[in-house]
Parts: sequence; C-alpha cells; structure tokens
Amino acid sequence: MNTLKTGMPLTDVYDPSEGLQSRQQSGSQPLPQFEDHDGQQTKYTTCYMCACRCGIKVTVENNQVRFIQGNPDHPVNKGVLCAKGNAGIMKQNSPAKLSKPLRRKPGSERGAGEFEEISWDEALDVLEKRLSHIRATDPKKLAYFTGRDQMQALTGMWASQFGTINWAAHGGFCSVNMAAAGLYTMGHAFWEFGDPDWDNTKYFMMWGVAEDHASNPIKLGIKKLKERGAKFVAVNPVRTGYQAVADEWIAIRPGTDGLLALSMIHVLLKHQLVDDEFLIRYTNAPQLVVNTPGQKGDGLFYRRASEDEDAVQVWDLQNETFGDANVADITPALFGEFKAPDGTPLRTVMSILVEKYQDDQYAPENVAEEVGVSAADIERLALEIAHVAFKETITLDVEWTDWAGRKQTQFVGRPVSMHAMRGISAHSNGFQTCRAIHLLQILLGTIDCPGGHLAKPPFPKHIPPGIKPAKEMAPNTPLKSPPLGFPTCPEDLVIDADGKPLRIDKAYSWDAPIANHGLMHMVIKNAVMGDPYKIDTLMLFMANMAWNSSMNTAETMEMLRAKEDNGDYKIPFIVCSDAFHSETVNFADLVLPDTTYLERFDTISMLDRPISEPHAACDSVRIPVIDHNQTSGRDVRSWQEVMIEMAGRLNFPAFTKQDGSRKYKGYKDFIINFEKEPGIGFLAGYRGSNGEKSLRGEPNPRQWEAYEENHGFFEHHLEPSQRYYRHANRDYLELAKEAGWVGSTNQIVIELYSETLQRFRLAGQGLYEGPMPSEPQHKERLSTYFDPLPFHYVPLEEQRINTAEYPFHAVNQRPMFMYHSWDSQNAWLRQIMSQNFLFMSRVAAEQQGIKDESWVWVESHNGRIRVQVKLMEGCNNSTVWTWNAIGKQAGAWGLKKDANESQQGFLMNHLISESLPQKGDNLDGITNSDPVTGQAAWYDVRVKITPAADGDTGSWPNFEAIKPLPGAEPSPEMISYSSHKNVNLLRSLKDILTRGEK
Amino acid sequence: MKLGLVVDLDTCVGCHGCATACKQWNTSGTIGPLSDENPYGRDPNGAWLNRIRTYEVDDSPNSKTVNMPLSCMHCEDAACVTVCPTGASYKREEDGIVLVDQDKCMGCNLCSWACPYGARELDPDQGTMKKCTLCVDRIYDEKLPEQERKPACVLTCPTKSRLFGDFDDPDSEVSVAVRERSGKALMPELGYNPTNKYLPPRNKAVVQTYEVDKSVIGTLKSWANRVIAR
Amino acid sequence: MHPAFSVLIFTVASGAGYGLLALLIMGHLMGMTQLQDNTVVLTAGSLSLALITGGLLTSTLHLANPKNAWRAFSRFKTSWLSREAVFAILVYPFALTYLLSSWASEELNLLTQLAGILTLILSMMTLFCTSMIYASLKTIRQWNTSLTPLNYLVLGLMSGSLLLVTVQGLVQGSAAQSLQSLALLLVVLGASVKLIYLFWIGKPAGSTINTATGFTQAKVRLLDAGHTADTFLTNEFGYEAGADKLLRLRAAMLVLAFVVPFILMTLTSTVMMLIAALLALAGLLVERWLFFAEARHVVRLFHGDQAT
Ligand SMILES: Nc1nc2c(c(=O)[nH]1)N[C@H]1C(S)=C(S)[C@@H](COP(=O)(O)OP(=O)(O)OC[C@H]3O[C@@H](n4cnc5c(=O)[nH]c(N)nc54)[C@H](O)[C@@H]3O)O[C@H]1N2
Ligand SMILES: Nc1nc2c(c(=O)[nH]1)N[C@H]1C(S)=C(S)[C@@H](COP(=O)(O)OP(=O)(O)OC[C@H]3O[C@@H](n4cnc5c(=O)[nH]c(N)nc54)[C@H](O)[C@@H]3O)O[C@H]1N2
Ligand code: SF4
Ligand code: SF4
Ligand code: SF4
Ligand code: SF4
Ligand code: SF4
Ligand SMILES: [Mo]
Repeated sequence: MNTLKTGMPLTDVYDPSEGLQSRQQSGSQPLPQFEDHDGQQTKYTTCYMCACRCGIKVTVENNQVRFIQGNPDHPVNKGVLCAKGNAGIMKQNSPAKLSKPLRRKPGSERGAGEFEEISWDEALDVLEKRLSHIRATDPKKLAYFTGRDQMQALTGMWASQFGTINWAAHGGFCSVNMAAAGLYTMGHAFWEFGDPDWDNTKYFMMWGVAEDHASNPIKLGIKKLKERGAKFVAVNPVRTGYQAVADEWIAIRPGTDGLLALSMIHVLLKHQLVDDEFLIRYTNAPQLVVNTPGQKGDGLFYRRASEDEDAVQVWDLQNETFGDANVADITPALFGEFKAPDGTPLRTVMSILVEKYQDDQYAPENVAEEVGVSAADIERLALEIAHVAFKETITLDVEWTDWAGRKQTQFVGRPVSMHAMRGISAHSNGFQTCRAIHLLQILLGTIDCPGGHLAKPPFPKHIPPGIKPAKEMAPNTPLKSPPLGFPTCPEDLVIDADGKPLRIDKAYSWDAPIANHGLMHMVIKNAVMGDPYKIDTLMLFMANMAWNSSMNTAETMEMLRAKEDNGDYKIPFIVCSDAFHSETVNFADLVLPDTTYLERFDTISMLDRPISEPHAACDSVRIPVIDHNQTSGRDVRSWQEVMIEMAGRLNFPAFTKQDGSRKYKGYKDFIINFEKEPGIGFLAGYRGSNGEKSLRGEPNPRQWEAYEENHGFFEHHLEPSQRYYRHANRDYLELAKEAGWVGSTNQIVIELYSETLQRFRLAGQGLYEGPMPSEPQHKERLSTYFDPLPFHYVPLEEQRINTAEYPFHAVNQRPMFMYHSWDSQNAWLRQIMSQNFLFMSRVAAEQQGIKDESWVWVESHNGRIRVQVKLMEGCNNSTVWTWNAIGKQAGAWGLKKDANESQQGFLMNHLISESLPQKGDNLDGITNSDPVTGQAAWYDVRVKITPAADGDTGSWPNFEAIKPLPGAEPSPEMISYSSHKNVNLLRSLKDILTRGEK
Repeated sequence: MKLGLVVDLDTCVGCHGCATACKQWNTSGTIGPLSDENPYGRDPNGAWLNRIRTYEVDDSPNSKTVNMPLSCMHCEDAACVTVCPTGASYKREEDGIVLVDQDKCMGCNLCSWACPYGARELDPDQGTMKKCTLCVDRIYDEKLPEQERKPACVLTCPTKSRLFGDFDDPDSEVSVAVRERSGKALMPELGYNPTNKYLPPRNKAVVQTYEVDKSVIGTLKSWANRVIAR
Repeated sequence: MHPAFSVLIFTVASGAGYGLLALLIMGHLMGMTQLQDNTVVLTAGSLSLALITGGLLTSTLHLANPKNAWRAFSRFKTSWLSREAVFAILVYPFALTYLLSSWASEELNLLTQLAGILTLILSMMTLFCTSMIYASLKTIRQWNTSLTPLNYLVLGLMSGSLLLVTVQGLVQGSAAQSLQSLALLLVVLGASVKLIYLFWIGKPAGSTINTATGFTQAKVRLLDAGHTADTFLTNEFGYEAGADKLLRLRAAMLVLAFVVPFILMTLTSTVMMLIAALLALAGLLVERWLFFAEARHVVRLFHGDQAT
C-alpha cells in the first residue's frame, strides 16, 4: 500500500516518559511537555485558500506545517479561521501539486494529457519567443486572463506594459454587477468594497449571499448582531448557512430581488419615509433633469451654459433661482418641475423617482406573486427598516469637517445595513437590481454612516472612478491607460469606427458597454469563432476555464481542441499558470507550475482591492513559510517572479533602465522600488527610507522586513473624524488624495440618477450626439436596459424560453468549506463533501413524484445532466440548487479515477450557456450576460426535472479520465500526517488497576 | 474542575471551521496522527474528533435550519470509560477530561459502542480509538501564550459559537452562558450527564414597524419641499 | 450495528463451548450414568475447549490493535469485557485440571469435583460477562435488557446440550434419553426466550432524533451529515438491512436454530442429532447476526434516524 506518512521524523522528538517530570498539575497526574516548541518556528503570512485573505500564524516544524491558526491581531479575521484556512496542511500536501514546467508532447493532441517535463530556462525561452513576436507585431494577439487572482494590480500593469487590451480577471463572470452598480452609484459597493457597520447596525438585510469574500468578517459580524439583538433578515431562495441563523428568512423567487427592493421603495415613498436631508446634501436627488422625451438631450442634467461637467443646476428655494448643484449652502428643491430660461422643461431627479416608483406596478400586492413574498411581508419589511432608520437613529458625537469646510458636531447614523452578492449579481438583471438595493439604502440615508453600509479604503471613489479603458495599441508600446476602466459615455467604448468590438471578449462594445471587468466567459468562444478576430496565445493564470469557471463546459472543452482546416488549433497556443493539476492544465501547451501560497512572496496591494476594513486602510503580504526547494523533485516558481522576469526579458519600459538593463532584480525588489506615482507603490505601509511613512513615501529598502515584523500586514487607522460620510468628509478626502486613492477632494455626490446610463440610452434611441449603434439588438439593449433609475425586468433567459417547460430556477451556493475547484484535492475537506446533490423543496418534489436520494435528469435549453436529488424544507418551491464546483473530471486534482467527485458529483455549468437561448432573432448567439455590464448570468438558468430510469445512477456527463502527469506518483491510499511523534498522555498501570469509575 | 464546551446553536453557521481546526491540531497532538483512508479515492474516510451536522426542524414553511457540531461531551457518567477493558480510556479526576491512552488501546471499539454521541472514531491506520482531548495539550501548555491556551476549535470559530471553561465555577463564561441561555444537554435520558451544553436558538429579534396611516396614499403632489441647505 | 463476523463466530462458538462444558460437568458430577464414561467426558470436554479457544482467538481478529490485547485484563473493576477476558482465561486451568483428573481416574474424586464445580461456575460467569458487554450498553435499546443475558445463557446451554447429546450418542452408540429430553427442553426454552426478545424489541421506545438534537417540539430531519462518504460511525452503527431480508432471516433463524433441531432431536438417530446440532449452530450464527443487525445504536439518530 502506498502510504503517506509525512513529516514523521526518523527519531522521536522526545520520549514521552521523559517529559513526564516537567510539570505537576495541581496535585494531580503530571502532564508531559507537549510540544518541543524550540524545534518549531512561528511565521506570519496571508491565507490564500480563498479571497478573504485572512492573516495566518503558521507553526512550522522540520519544514512541515504543524499548525495554521488565525493571526489574532489581523484586521480581517482577528484570529479566527474558516475550514479551508484550517485545512492548509492538506493543500500543501496535495498530490496534485505541479512540480515541473510541462510542454505538450510534440505531435500529441491538445487535451490528451501527453506532457513532457522541461526546464524553466526552456519554458521561459519558449514563452519569451512567442510573446516578443506577438508584441512586436500585433499585441492584441495575446489574450491574458486571470481567474480568482489576488494580484490584478500586477497582471493588469503587465498587460498594459505588454500593450494588449485583451486582459481581464474573473470579475466579469464573478460579480462585476455589484462593482459597477456600486461604483456608478455611490463610489463604493458590496463585494470587497464595503461592509455593514457590524458594530452599530440594528437591522441587517442580506441579499443572495451564501459565503462571499468576506467569509470570516461576515461570520464575526453576524455574531455581533446576534449578541446585540439586532435583526438579521436573509433574502435567499435557500435557507442554509447564514440564512439558518437569520431572524427572518425571505424565500424569494430567484431573479426578482429588484422587484422586492423597488416595492419596498414604493412603500417608503407612499408614506414619505425618506431622509430628505441626506438626499439634498449628499446625492443628486435635487439635480435638474431635462424633460424632453424623444429629443436629443432628454434625461441629461441641466447645466449652466458653460457646459462644464460640474455646472449641473438645481432650483435654489431660498433665492428662487437656478444655482450650481455643487455649491455649499445652497437650498435646493428636492421636488418640482421647472422651466429653463430657454423654455426647456426640467424636473428634479427626486420628482422623476417618486413618480416612477409610486406607480401601482410596484405596489406590494402587485409584485407579491412574482417575488414569492406576501404583500403584508413586503410592507412590513419596508416599515421596519423605516422605523429603525428614523426612530432608532444613532448619533456619534464626533467633530468632523464636511467637504465645504464646515464643522459638524456629530455623525448621524441610520442603523440599517445591507449586503448583497451573487444571488443578485449572477442574474442578467443584476446591475439594475443592485442599483435598486443601493437606492433603498440611499433613500434611508444609510450610506457610510454609523450603523449603515461603510466603504473600505481606498473606496469611496468619485463616480465613476476616473479611469477610461484603453483602446489604442501599437507594437512594442505600452497602453496609455489600463485595459479596464469606467466608461461614462459611448465615446469611451472600445470599438472601432464601424462600431465593432476591439477587445476579444467584446467588453466595452455595444454588447456590454459598461463591462468594467471584461467578459472572461466569452474569451474562448470568441477566439475560436474568430469573432471579432483570432488570437495567437491565450495565457491563463489561476483560472480553471476548461471546467468550473466556464459556462457550457463540455462544449468549451471541444472548443479548446478545435482545429482549423489546415490542422492548426483555432487557439494556437495556450499557456497555463497553475499550482495544481486542474482540468485546464490538461489543455495547456505550456504549463508553468506556480508555488503554493505558503511558499511565495506576494502582496495584497492598495492598488488593487486590499484587505482594508471600514475604519482602517490595510494591505498585506505573503512571506514563504515553507521552503519549496527543500521539497524533493519540485522545481516551481511563483507567477509573480515569472511576470517580473518576462517583463524584463521583453524590455517593458517600466521594467527597463535607460541603458536597457533590467530595473528590478526580482519580485521583492520590484515591490520595494516600483512607484506608480511618486511615493505610491504596491505596498502602502512602512514607506520612506526608514519605514517611518505611511500611505505615501519614498521606497524603503527594508519594507518586506517591516511587514514581516508586523506579522504580515499594515494598518492605517482612520481618525474618528474620518470614519463616516467619507464621500463628503474633508479630512478623509484629503487623506485619500494624499494616498492616491482619489484624484480630488471634491465631494463625491451619490448618483441616484445615472446620467452615464442615460447617455447610452439616448444612443440606443438614436438621440445621442456621438457614437450610436446601428444594429437593432444594440439599440434595443441600450434603450431598454440603460434606465438611469433602477428598474426590474425579467432575466433574459427567462424572456426567451418557455417557462412552463422549464419550471425551476437552478442556482448554486458556495460551500463554506470549499473554494471553487481547488479544494477537492484537499484530503480533509473532501471528506466533508466529495459528492454534491441537487437540493429541492420536498413539497415541490413530491408534486413531481421525485423521491429523496433518487437520480433525476435535469435539463435546460442548453443540455442535460443526471444528478442525485435531496429533498429539504428550506427551499423556495420553484428553485433547485447545488453546491458549486464539487464535480470534477476524473483523473484531475490528484484524485483517483473512481473518486466520488467524478462519478457522482456534478457541475451545473453544463446546463448554462454562454449564449442566450436560440429564438431565431438577432439575439441568438449573444452573450448570456447582464446587458449593461456583461456579467455572466449563471443563475438565470431554468430547468425541468424528470426521474431517471431505474438503475440509471451516477452522474452524467462523464468524461474520459485525465492522464497522470509525467513523474506523478500515485496518490497515497492512507495518510497519517503528523509533524512530530505524538506526545501521549500515559495512564499509569496503578491507576488503571485501582481507580474505580463511578 | 469540570472542563468542557458550550456550543451556541443560535449562531453556528455550520462552517466546519472547528472540525478542521480540530483535525489539524490533533493530527500532530497528543493523540495524533488522525489518519485518512483512501484520501484521494472513492469514499474518503478518516478519523475526526468533531463533526458538524445540519438538521431541519419542523415542516416548511415553519421550519428552521440548525447546525450542530458534535464532539465528546466529557460526560460525568462516561460509560465509554467504564466499558474499556484495557484502561486506555479514562476520565481525568482533576478536570474531567476523558482521554484515550494511545499506548494502551487495543482497538476493540467497545467504548464507541458505549458512547451515545458518536464522539469516538477508530483510526483506520493506527487501529486505536481517537476522541476529543479537549485539547489538553493546548490548555495546559504554558509555553503557549495565555490567550491561546484554549481548544483549537474554540480559538478558530468564526462566529464565536464555542465557549470553553470550567463548569464547576459558577462565574465562568460557560456556566453563565448555560444559566442565562438555558443551555441543554443532548439525550439527557441516557444518564451520561454530558458536561458539554448546547445553547438553543434565541427568540427572533422583533422590530417595530414605522407607524403610518395606511389609508393615506402619498402622491408626488403631496410631497412638500423643505428648505435644507446643502 | 454492523455484524462483525469474528464476533458472531466468537459468541456462537464460545457460547456453545461453555454451555457444553457446563452441562457436561453438571451431568458428570451429578452422577448421570452415561456421563461417567471417560471417553464421553474427554471428547465433550475437548470439544468445548476447542470451541472456546477457537472462539476467543477469532474474537481477537476483531481487534484493530491486537498487540495490546493482553491489557484487556486490567479493568476488571468496571469493564464487562475485561471481566469476560479474566473469567475466560480463569476457566482454562480449572477446566484442564478437571479433564486431566477425569482422565486420570474413572472415579469422581475431590479434585475432579472441585475443578468441575469451579469450571462450571466460571463458564457460566464468562458467558454472563459476554452477555453483559451488550446488555450494559444504554446506547442500544435492543441490547440494554435483562433478556440479553438470559438469551446468551439459554442459547449457550441449548447449543451445548445439542452438542452434548450428540457427542454422547456418537461415542456410546445411542443417545441418552435424559440428555435428549434436556436438549428438547432447552430448544423450547431457547425459542421462547428468542420469541419474547423479538416481540420486546418490536415495541418503539427509547431515545429519538428529538431528544438527540434537543428539539423536542417538532419533526426533526437530517439535512447534512457533515460528510458524504461513510465514516467509522456510519459503518459501525449505520448498518441497515432491508425489512424483508430481516424477516426472512428471522424465519430462517427460527427454523434452523429451533424448529428443525427440535424435530431431528425427537428422532433417535445420532446422525440426525449431529445434523441438528450443526444446524442449530448455523441458526445461532443467524441469530447472532440478527442480534447485531437489528440493534439500533442511538448514534443513528444523529444521522437521521427518527427513533431507535
Ligand atoms: N468558501 C468559499 N468562499 C468563497 C468562494 C468559494 O468558492 N468558497 N468563492 C468566492 C467567490 S469567487 C465569490 S464570487 C463569492 C460569492 O459569494 P456568494 O455571493 O455568497 O455566492 P454564492 O455562493 O453563489 O451565493 C449566492 C447565494 O444567492 C442565493 N441566490 C441565488 N439566486 C438568488 C436570487 O435571485 N436572489 C437572492 N436573494 N438570492 C439568490 C443562493 O441561494 C446563494 O445562497 O464567494 C467567494 N468566497
Ligand atoms: N456554475 C457555476 N459556475 C461558476 C460559478 C457559480 O456560481 N456557478 N461561480 C463563478 C465565479 S464567481 C468565479 S470567481 C469562478 C471561479 O473560477 P476560477 O477562478 O477559474 O476557479 P478556481 O476553481 O478558483 O480555479 C482557479 C485555478 O487556480 C488554481 N490555483 C490555485 N492556487 C493557485 C496558485 O497559488 N497559483 C496559481 N497559479 N494557480 C492556483 C487552481 O488550481 C485552479 O485551477 O467560477 C465561476 N463559475
Ligand atoms: S476565509 Fe478561510 S480560506 Fe479564506 S482567507 Fe480566510 S481563512 Fe483563508
Ligand atoms: S461523549 Fe462519548 S466519548 Fe465522550 S465522555 Fe461521553 S460517552 Fe465518553
Ligand atoms: S477501543 Fe481502546 S479505548 Fe476503546 S474500549 Fe477498546 S481498548 Fe478501550
Ligand atoms: S476541544 Fe480540541 S479535541 Fe475537542 S473538539 Fe475541540 S479541537 Fe477537537
Ligand atoms: S466553527 Fe463555529 S460556526 Fe463553524 S461549525 Fe464550528 S461552531 Fe459552527
Ligand atoms: Mo467569484
């Protein structure tokens, strides 16, 4: 038998009997000295088992991990750790770890799993040759996409320096709806951009969250709420995890949250329950909008003649004149219809808004059935949050200065908070739904106030952040701006003169105008179809695109294998950086083996989405705790190092000195010395030549050591006066400007009404002075979905299929103890779950004659799968769901061919199409995404369920088992991991013989 | 002393953090390793000292989901100890911790039969019985920082749903919690007198609704502008 | 409970062995004519020791860490298993003395008598201890009853009596009427005890999923066991046999262990008696299998069983 007995030293660390004398327990049995701490080291680094990025304290013994615990001082997790973090030992010992660079064997078929080991020199030469040719000829032929990457600041910068606009990370299929809705509304967002004020909130509503990135913070927060007796309402079709401990569970029908939020808004408006002071001071609610339907300029803000962006007008009640919206002390009218001097009819945003949502279509009784929540409950929820916001107001007596320099004596808090995630974002109406939820928060004045929803530095930003996506490319030339940015008008789209997409994923085209994070889920299909063009090299980092992160997995695998008539692959070259033997590795032409998270230097940078807490700007590092060179036979390099090496080899300007020599010795050197602008680098802490400066300061040669001494992170606490109302808080804005988080100290005016969206809508209506689409589906997309005020629409798939034929919504949840595909290789975590089931409501199943634990066929417009069912109580009757990414391809992840994951586990992805259902119109083949942001609409899929024939068991489809990699040893059949011989507590013979147990 | 755990069912979200923390600490602890059979194959199965189960109470729509971690209760009348023929199993007099001396166990399983709570698991590789040690090798290890001298599962729990302490001390965190929240023992009818207790879910938080005159239906016209300076 | 084959063999074999030994000694010492025959005593005695020894050895197969088996004697104070081990070992010197002494002299001497009486007592004690291992477990309602020791003792004696009359009959050519009657009586008694037991375990009682989880007001269902593959606990306690399989096996058990042996016992043929004894042993293996398979440990409640 092949047994792994890792770490058991050849000689015992101690003889337990020796330790016996060491101490005497209050007159009782002596206890041994348990561990030889002298033989152990404690090191601090950052967890990587998910994107929560908790601080960890790792005890290491003989270059083996003894114990991983939470770093008690860490701002994110404060000492606690989740199941994944606790199972790091088995991640580090995974048999699926890659060990050498691999090349697809010449002559073998892609995907056949025939690899040969090559040296790093050779691997890097191959890559350099390929990339330098692309860069010198047509840089966009490199498409560089990264998955749940935590170093987008570096990979994005690398792509810019390379000169390709074809770069993006997972955001487009993950939750760009949340980011975009937040950043285009209030300058921060849900997701990783903000947090509920756990310490002060009295009412917390959680929309569509199973786990999220703030894994441990949410758990710590929920405990705080419950201890304080705050109310926790969970809106979710399924009741597990967080929803299980909620005070109230709203079993919503998927895809209808926007309607629920807008109906609650309807109730609030009906009773005039809004925070008008907040709206006047901090939002664009009083701003005047041109009301000339059908004419150019309709729906845009009314500006002073200067046409200055900032010259938006309001009606000043005191002076009874128009006035600039952005001046202090003006008294704007929140409501009203006015006429401009030239006769143009104008209305305030708030007037439009009230009129819109007071419509009967939003009345609770009219939405109840569609949402699956009773009218009485909708009304009650609205009146409960109103009560808490307005009758349980909290005030913090802290002096602060507002944006106009006026002293304020307190922070007023409306202690209602919300958090929302993929239950909202993974629908094709997610952007507008998320905007609706933000609108609800804003009307109550709960933004960045005590008890409300708080931004996390470097957020909030101005709306939207002032970066425009790059469009122009030239050989051997860096881009002028980053590949991803925030369009504010059709002029910003990344399209050519004919309106055709310039990016391979068609982000920022008429298909997905505000695709802030790209559309990673479209890359493979578009590249294979040559639509908009063919590429040469697809470089994937940390993305399992051949399996759980692609829609329509089986077809994607076919596409990766697809060849031209001449026998060349349609995607000529695929490079994959992974640390483990994933399904995607199998499709690579060149595999670059990464280190594990315990083996590398890394930064979680302020230039990215750092680990900040609402009241502290924080970033952190990873520092190796295990020396991978000591692990026999492995020759791996961190992708960070590879990026810097390639940047040097390809002579990227930012990485090259005037004399043509390399600027940086390696990753550590780069992090210390690179400056984005003077004094601003990847790490914000311990800057200045002696490490005495924070946020901005010249490079510190001992910066890494300083982070190490501070246990792996840096924390800059905000002064009490800087902690709230940061969109209008001068002290905060000045700090933010100094730190490079914002470009100006101007007030960040919250945008209930989005003029950006209106510009696109006008383009769709043919009323825009600038680029406009020519194809009917684009016109329709813009004029329908780019409503400047949030609205609800039926998700696109649902609009295009027969809902009677496909009666169920099918959604996923993240298991708290598994991270996407990574954790099935973890011997401990897969014991918790190595098979997933399709869960459905017992009542609904019984109606369909479906029995508990039976096998069924689940069919969508795109395909079918065979899965095993489990019945439950806490599930909306029209919803079926499963745990995400448990199903695996046989042979991947170091698992044996008969492992449960591949034989009984399944992926929902086979059912989900990257294109809209065929209907014979011009939307056929269009991306299955949110029409505004291009966010993948995973949870729109509708299915029907039929019992499988007797004896038809096991999951389907099945794929041929992936071949083992060269040199891979078979996975062990038994593990008895231990970092040292156990120090047993011995029971003496005398005690055994004499003591009588009662 | 009567040491044990309290688990708060009101806040446990079933994350399995405590179960894996327990596994990693104890696989190198006094009773380690905790072996795993077929770890990368069909039906992986290893020894765990703490497992999380989830139940649904009542029929929908009134049902409730409850996550329930289960580990050794360090029973006062621990039949697992009395049945053990080798003397490997014993209950420490000084603090009530029930332990298995790995050097003495013969792997007869009888103690696991005697345990009502499924707290004992046979190690598939070593053939000895494994169970929660209450992290005796943490709580008494003076080389560890004071605040870390707690069981691994307690330290790690992200919702702080696990308390550790001395039930003999009426002022300890555990005694107070049990008193104030009516902490309960599981299957009391069997008479094992489990030391560990479970805090039942709290009553639902209730929030008032804003008092409104529901007969009034606001229209756009009914809103009045207030003079508020920006 | 998972029926471990080694334990089934052990309990059936040692039960028969101790039963045989006890009845042999009883008859021998009480002066039963046919049992004053050296050959019968030695044959039956050796057979019983073989059964006991074989059983004990088989039982160690059940141990996952047999190198510590010797320690099983140390907790005599509290552990029925320890007591069983101690008594089982203690039987040997006396049983051997009894057999040697019987071999040495046809006549019943004091040594034979003393050793015999002690062997008899220790045998019964061992059997009783074995039964108490099960009967003392409050976690298994189907075992935690005085019917369990009764069952073990009666069935041990019953199988012993069948063996005794068979050995006696085979050695001496024809079976003693009295032993035959005793066997018939014990078969009837065994069947009755078993029927009472089966009836008794049929009544619902004991802990439920409600008391196990502490939610006593409403129906409780398992949603997730916390592991998707079987574990030590589900393997050990989750053993599940279909209801009709159990019913069929109950019938087979009753027929094999009681009905057929009873009929065969009424015949005079010693060959038939041998068959009866062997069938009864086979039947008792089924009985023991059912004893485990029908025992429902309370841990099952945590895995979703509604009641035990
Ligand atoms: N343990 C763990 N943590 C993770 C990850 C992981 O894989 N494992 N992945 C990370 C990543 S990449 C992401 S993006 C985040 C995502 O974190 P979450 O947002 O928590 O993502 P999901 O698990 O998809 O949860 C979606 C939830 O929404 C519900 N839902 C589905 N449709 C609807 C709907 O229409 N309305 C409402 N109200 N609810 C709905 C589902 O039942 C589910 O509970 O988690 C991150 N954290
Ligand atoms: N059906 C369905 N599909 C979904 C979702 C869903 O809810 N339902 N969720 C979607 C979402 S939100 C997301 S974010 C995606 C996630 O999609 P991905 O980011 O593609 O998924 P992961 O499984 O996290 O895989 C990333 C790859 O990174 C590798 N990796 C792990 N550690 C390292 C490392 O240290 N270095 C390197 N180089 N590689 C490493 C892993 O081995 C794995 O191959 O999935 C999407 N897919
Ligand atoms: S939540 Fe868990 S996996 Fe994620 S970083 Fe924190 S400890 Fe690691
Ligand atoms: S829970 Fe089980 S193992 Fe623990 S003391 Fe009680 S009976 Fe013994
Ligand atoms: S398995 Fe070990 S600890 Fe349990 S009863 Fe047997 S000898 Fe004692
Ligand atoms: S106290 Fe220690 S041994 Fe017991 S469950 Fe917790 S971590 Fe495991
Ligand atoms: S760590 Fe805490 S919340 Fe998680 S399962 Fe354990 S007790 Fe429950
Ligand atoms: Mo994601």
